[in-house]
Amino acid sequence: MSKQATQVPRRRFLQSTVSAAGAAAMAPMFIPSSALGRDGAVAPSERVIVAGIGIGRRGGYDLSCFLPQKDVQFVAVADIKKKRQGEVKKIIDTYYGNEKCVTYRDFREVLDRSDIDAVLIATGPNWHATAAMTAAKAGKDMYCEKPVTKNISQSLILAETMRRTGRVFQAGTQRRNLPHFAFACELARTGKLGKLKKVYAHPAGMQALMSGWLVPETEPDQDVVDWDMYLGPAAWRPFNRKLLDGFNFEKGGGFVGAFKGGGVLEWGSHCVDLCQWAVGDCAPPVEYDAPKDGELVARYENGTELIFRERGWIPLGSCPVRFEGETGWVEAGDSGKMVLSSPELLAGREVDEIGGYPATFHVRDFLDCVKTRSKPKGNADAACNAHIACHAANIALHLDRQVKYDNTTHTFINDAQANRMRSEALREPWRL
Amino acid sequence: MNTTRQFTRSAFLFVTLILVANASARAFDGPDTSPEKEKELLAVLRSDAPASEKAIACKNLAIYGSPAAVADLAKLLPDPQLSSWARISLEVIPGEASDEALLAASESLEGRLLVGMINSIGFRRNANAVESLTAKLQNSDADVASAAAVALGHIGNAAATKSLTAALATVPANVRSAVAEGCVLCAERLHGEGDAVAATKIYDQVRAADVPMQRIIEATRGAILARNQDGIPLLQEIIQSPDKKLFQLALGTAREFPGSEIDKTLAAQLDKATPDRAALIVQAMADRPQTVVVAAVVKAAGQGPTAVRISAIDALQRVGDDSCLSALLTIAVGDEEALATAAQQTLSVLPGQDVNKEIGALLPTAKGDTHKLLLQLVGQRRIDAVNEVVKALDSSDKSVRSAALVALGETVSLERLSLLISQAVAPKHAEDATIAQQALKAASVRMPDREACAAELASAVGDAPAAAKTTLLEILSEVGGTKALQTLATAARSNDDQLQDTSSRLLGKWNGVDAAPVLLDLAKTAPAEKYRVRALRGYIGVARKFAMPDKARAEMCRNAINATLRPAERKLALDVLTLHPSVDGLKLAVNAMRVASLKDDATAAALIIAQKVGGKGVDVSALMAAAGLDKVKLEIVKAQYGAGATQKDVTAVLRKQASNTPVITLVSGTYNASFGGDPSPGVVKQLNVEYRINGKDGKASFAENALIILPVPK
Repeated sequence: MSKQATQVPRRRFLQSTVSAAGAAAMAPMFIPSSALGRDGAVAPSERVIVAGIGIGRRGGYDLSCFLPQKDVQFVAVADIKKKRQGEVKKIIDTYYGNEKCVTYRDFREVLDRSDIDAVLIATGPNWHATAAMTAAKAGKDMYCEKPVTKNISQSLILAETMRRTGRVFQAGTQRRNLPHFAFACELARTGKLGKLKKVYAHPAGMQALMSGWLVPETEPDQDVVDWDMYLGPAAWRPFNRKLLDGFNFEKGGGFVGAFKGGGVLEWGSHCVDLCQWAVGDCAPPVEYDAPKDGELVARYENGTELIFRERGWIPLGSCPVRFEGETGWVEAGDSGKMVLSSPELLAGREVDEIGGYPATFHVRDFLDCVKTRSKPKGNADAACNAHIACHAANIALHLDRQVKYDNTTHTFINDAQANRMRSEALREPWRL
Repeated sequence: MNTTRQFTRSAFLFVTLILVANASARAFDGPDTSPEKEKELLAVLRSDAPASEKAIACKNLAIYGSPAAVADLAKLLPDPQLSSWARISLEVIPGEASDEALLAASESLEGRLLVGMINSIGFRRNANAVESLTAKLQNSDADVASAAAVALGHIGNAAATKSLTAALATVPANVRSAVAEGCVLCAERLHGEGDAVAATKIYDQVRAADVPMQRIIEATRGAILARNQDGIPLLQEIIQSPDKKLFQLALGTAREFPGSEIDKTLAAQLDKATPDRAALIVQAMADRPQTVVVAAVVKAAGQGPTAVRISAIDALQRVGDDSCLSALLTIAVGDEEALATAAQQTLSVLPGQDVNKEIGALLPTAKGDTHKLLLQLVGQRRIDAVNEVVKALDSSDKSVRSAALVALGETVSLERLSLLISQAVAPKHAEDATIAQQALKAASVRMPDREACAAELASAVGDAPAAAKTTLLEILSEVGGTKALQTLATAARSNDDQLQDTSSRLLGKWNGVDAAPVLLDLAKTAPAEKYRVRALRGYIGVARKFAMPDKARAEMCRNAINATLRPAERKLALDVLTLHPSVDGLKLAVNAMRVASLKDDATAAALIIAQKVGGKGVDVSALMAAAGLDKVKLEIVKAQYGAGATQKDVTAVLRKQASNTPVITLVSGTYNASFGGDPSPGVVKQLNVEYRINGKDGKASFAENALIILPVPK
């Protein structure tokens, strides 16, 4: 199909969900604030009491999305680094003009507090699933950064645990609450592109990421860095400050040897997640080919292809996705823009262009659901399916051959090696 | 039915979880271990290799190990550093040997290591471990006892269930929560397998126990769902509970509850609940679109506390239908602004087959605010009612005319586009011009046949007043396509400065590579210098923004460089080459180095491109050797290759290969081969170089296998 198309040129603002011109608009949609008691000042008893776990660079950004919400009170932070505890406390206390934020080294002390309703989990990915399920069992709702899980087994257990415990879970897949991505997915999902043939995701690096067992360095005092707590559920290895960057540690699915697949999970938890939304959040693909020429092709049960593709994107910013049907296509990226095969696909609607993939709307969606107990856009079931697709692709990448996945039994068909890669024992004493 | 499916899936998923865990413990079909690899890995475990190597061997045995590897792995279980690595393998190696090894270790280990064994036993669902785990429920270490309780929950057979339910009343308080968790896991399994009666019994037992609130919540959810329709009274009880957590549980559980009786129960709660709770109950009702009692939502939208009404009006976006139209129209033109806004929002997306038809039927007789609202809805919902909308253009009320113009913009067809063109170019009321032009733009960009649309617009340009000409050209640029491009190109060459200005501006930001030839031509032939520069910048912008083959991009940059003598635009073209590095781009940059006025910029571009392209494994050494880089005096002071503390001194190798340019070509394609081996296998490495060029000190780092081009110190 040609790349000659119509780039949606319209820019709108957030203040209104109905444009000045009156056309039906695609903008972040939430339950009216007055229906949920968040108009004006919110009584302390009606606020959602939140604590942060592992608030570093990404978490700091998330925190900046939580703090301005009138119905949120951020009261505590847990971190394995003493210095960071103080830094985050300062941000929170400065915002509220008091000294009330309490700091902890062990996040379980946060979970023990009965006054806390929800937690923001923004640790390194090694901790995400374990912290999320520990929080759920402690009765906390959670906004959890991605990638949420390290393997297929964790993905399934995550969905089941959130259901069993009745908790509200929002994965940090904030693009689900951005209008242009939502519109693109809606076009695909509702048949506006004709029968869906291909959905494309950009893994941005099916390549090596550092992990493993590095050269030992002198371990800092526990107060400076609690290394044992930092390792948490990951198999033991000696202290090395390079691993203190959560971005590098245990992020690519943890496969030793090739260390491949970092991008598939790191970016796939966003762009594959959007592809999953485009196909109606159905079960993940059932076949995953070996990578070839910068592409890895997976197939859903109905024949639709999910293609992890490194090149060939229209320059629309990071995390692009493309959905192709029999009669049309759409491509969207982090610039906030999308390109359509025909302007007719807009059907008179205007779509907000919100670049820079802000998480504000996603946080709002989460908080609304904490109150209504509905499922947020990045709910555990959706995250489970998207992550399974990424993990299965990683396994095909690691084994460098096709693998076939059975969504009924959640096993790879006739494939003992692939099946053994669906899970990984957690270091003691952690469990899911 | 949706809710039934949800519930079934819930139970189903739990069963699949069992399969996942269970499957790890048994043999799979298909090719299993790789004996050669297993042999190599076991040799590592049996050697005096460092712990780091043994750890990685354990991890690989998870994929390639067989029961024959179990004994060696089991030896590592008491090792605090390697125990978890060994369990990674033992958890997934099929067969009883792994089960036995973990169970045996659980009899000798203590503390955290013992907890690890128990967790793995639970993961593998080893039924033979029930007796041992049951004994551990009484362990004085609460962490051990708790781990045993959860492991029994995962095993979940009759014996495990019996142990857990018996322990619920006897274990110490600090273990009771885990025992309750185990009980709930057993109950979930029973429910998933169809034994709702047994499951209910366990849930009720947990609910009655002295356990933390979260366990009560889990058991209560299970107790409601396992009872099926008989669970409604319990759900009704907790939805009225003063406890916020239980109320929230009721809202969540109501969404997954099967059948339609629960919808009536929820509807009945609206009158009993406090307004803040009723507003939330309405949202729960709307999350059951298949069975929701719509009439109850409509009633809540029409009367009562404002918060509840707004929540109900919002809910009708998802579950409303034709029957809600009248009520919503009344609210939408009412005096209460918040309610009116919410109703207007809902009306714009209200589901229902006949909603559009009914709105169209109401239009001819509507008056005042209702008339305006209906016109607005015609546009928002794209209802075909052009004749009625056109009539409204004659209204003496400006707001009605505005609403009609907007509606026309959203609904008019190509055949009647001239209606809007005339309104935009020569409106009856001058004050309508802006809104008419906005409407024309909205109509134009949605036309499926953009060439025909562009032809209509282009034909109107000639006779339009000057201001309208600009508007029409701007709309044409939004429409795009061949005709629009031609029209803008023609206008850019006209004698009218305003048209030249507008057209060259619009062409400069044209959204497609089809504008490239037009822009290049204008860059050479436009009547004024400022428009030639603008066109050239637009041309370079096309090369920068759009996906195209490397050769085509390099060709565009070559054209841009040849089309001007201005240094700024020539540098922009070189910047494009560095942004999209390619061999073709490198060739062009190298050639450009021979032009005196471009030499510095082109050299910098060539070095950057060579670095990027070379880093991807493309051999550009011959090209760079032929580039004729200025001779320099290069001294390598120190060079190290490795990761972290593992560094290899490669100063001698680099000194040997260094010449009189900043480029160093190694003897082999990879650093490892050139530097005599891999100093840190399995880890990403870097080359760090300290050097001196023409007497000035410099430092540079290179990712593994990157082309070595040393920046010239300033």
